Amino acid sequence: MEGSKQQTNRLDGAVPTAPSFVTAAHELKSPLALVRQLALHLESGEVDSKEMQEVAHRIALTSERALRLTTDITKSTRLEDSLFSLEPLNPIVLCQEVVDEMKPLYAAHGRTIVLTSRARSLLALANRDLLRRILLNFADNALHYSGEGPVTITASLRGGGSYIRLGVRDYGPALPSVMRKNVGKQSTSVHSRPESSGLGIYIARQFADAMHATIGTTSHRDGATFYVDIGASSQLRLL
Amino acid sequence: MAAKRVLIIEDDQWFLSLLQKRLEREKFAVVAASNTIEGMAEINKSVPDVIVLDFFMPGPNALVLLHELQSYSDTANVPVILCTNNASDVPKEAISSYGVVSVLDKTTMHPDDVAAAVRRAL
Repeated sequence: MEGSKQQTNRLDGAVPTAPSFVTAAHELKSPLALVRQLALHLESGEVDSKEMQEVAHRIALTSERALRLTTDITKSTRLEDSLFSLEPLNPIVLCQEVVDEMKPLYAAHGRTIVLTSRARSLLALANRDLLRRILLNFADNALHYSGEGPVTITASLRGGGSYIRLGVRDYGPALPSVMRKNVGKQSTSVHSRPESSGLGIYIARQFADAMHATIGTTSHRDGATFYVDIGASSQLRLL
Repeated sequence: MAAKRVLIIEDDQWFLSLLQKRLEREKFAVVAASNTIEGMAEINKSVPDVIVLDFFMPGPNALVLLHELQSYSDTANVPVILCTNNASDVPKEAISSYGVVSVLDKTTMHPDDVAAAVRRAL
């Protein structure tokens, strides 16, 4: 699978060293500007009751997206002060929770997000909240920076059963080849998408580091998979 | 008289929808595209009278389209209105030679501003 059509890269050491206030502000501009425009549209009084409901729903969903980002930013700055306990968890169940949480936002954009996994019983060792936030981050990224195709969350056991890969596959524009080539270079910023600030990936990496996981991306001709690799629980071997 | 044709190229579907409604209310014929590739395809079908263009989008950004427009005699003079969250970062002198007639800041603009900018551009 890792042939000429796709390239996999771990995203360690290749993301921005720290999110600046400016980066965070830029990232928040987009949802806030949209909320403002939607509110002004409501204020214009030119909307019927059906559209009013739709616009209000969009305001709520866009606000939730901005709030997710602000929560992630604040959480990422406090990682060093916190201890994150790792627990055995079923990643399939967690992935389904992420799918269920993102479904309304995807549906409002006329998009779909689904979970596909061939694995039946997986047990990972991870921090539930951080892993959930990483996947939400990837799913949010896939919605806003990819094309119109469905987004798929996948789970698979790898490395002879030593780790589990959870991936969010989209059908957006492929990462530019120059960006893929620079992934391993310490000084290079790797953005999730060319038009993205890279803040989301920085935060996802912080969360992954805090629970001894790694994140990476596989570039396909017709999109990308952003993934997190987490340790498989040894309890699985006892099952 | 036929309605003036405005092409909106904007990756945020909800923002695009707001711009489209506002321009259609002003009796412009609006065509929408969600990225520069789709935008180029629409321009190939029919050259618009004005283009409202987001700056950062999935795939090629606005500069790629601006370069492309300047490469052909039938599109070189199409007025372009940039509509972006990062208006203060856009190098206005550099883009003025690419047919950009105004820059709208999404974070401060009023919904009516886009129609006013299109009217000025025509």
